[in-house]
Amino acid sequence: MRAMYLANYFVAGCIAFSLLGWVASLHPYAFRAVLCVLAAIAIGWGLSWLLDFSLSKLLKISVADLQALLIGGLAMLLIGLGVFLCT
Amino acid sequence: MHLKLFVLSASSVVLWLAPLTALDKTLDIHKALQGVSLTAAIACAVTAGNIARELSEQGEIEAIKTRAITADVIDEISTSAYISQQQRQQEAELILASPGVDVEESRKAQEAIYSNNLQDYTSASEHPDYPIYLEVCKSREAGKSTTWIVENILKMGGRKFSDGKVKLQTLLNQFEE
Repeated sequence: MRAMYLANYFVAGCIAFSLLGWVASLHPYAFRAVLCVLAAIAIGWGLSWLLDFSLSKLLKISVADLQALLIGGLAMLLIGLGVFLCT
Repeated sequence: MHLKLFVLSASSVVLWLAPLTALDKTLDIHKALQGVSLTAAIACAVTAGNIARELSEQGEIEAIKTRAITADVIDEISTSAYISQQQRQQEAELILASPGVDVEESRKAQEAIYSNNLQDYTSASEHPDYPIYLEVCKSREAGKSTTWIVENILKMGGRKFSDGKVKLQTLLNQFEE
C-alpha cells in the first residue's frame, strides 16, 4: 500500500508538470512565466543537492530520503513535460 | 476503500494521457478540455494518494498490534514454563539435600508438600501427625535443637536420622502453612 501511495503522488507530480506545459502553450507570456518557474525550480533543485545535509536536518528526514525526493522530482519533470511535448 | 483507490488511480492516469493524445492542441475548445482534464487528473491522483497513505498507516498499526499480541502470548508461555521449571528444581534440590534417603520416599514427601493433602481432612487437628507436631512445637519453644527433636520426638536417630529430618520438615510445612 505504501508503494501505491508513493506511485499516486508521483503520478500527481507528473501531471502537474504536464499542466505547466499546457499553461506554457496558451500564450507567449505564459511560456516565459513558465520558463521562469522552471528556472527557479532548477536553481532550488541544484541548491538542495549542495545543501542536502542542512536541508535534511531542517526537514527532519534522512539525507537518503531527501536525495530520493530530488531524483523523484527530476523524474516527474522529465516524464510530465516529455508526455506533454511528445503527444 | 480499495475499489475507490484503484478507480481514482486509474482515472487519474486516463485523464492525464487520453486528452493529450486524442485532442487537437490547435483548437481552443480542445485545449480548454485538456486543461480541465489535467486539473481533474491531479485532483484524482492526490485523493488516491491520500487514501493509500491512510490505508498504509492502518496496515502498520494492525501489524504493530499483531506483533504486540504475539509477544504477550510468548511472554506468558515462557513465564509459566519458568515458574514450573523453578518449582521442579526446588523439589529436586530438596531431594538431593538429604543424602542417604530413599529417593522415592523423598519424592512422595515433596508431593505431599505441593499437593493439597491437607484438604482431605476437615481440620488440621484431626490429622494423625498433629499431636507429634504439637510436641515438636513445644520442644522448639523450650529451645531444643533439631537433632534432639528428630531423635527424641520422632524417634528416628542413628541411620534413620536423615529420614527424620525430612519428616520433620514435611511436618512443619504441612501445619505451618
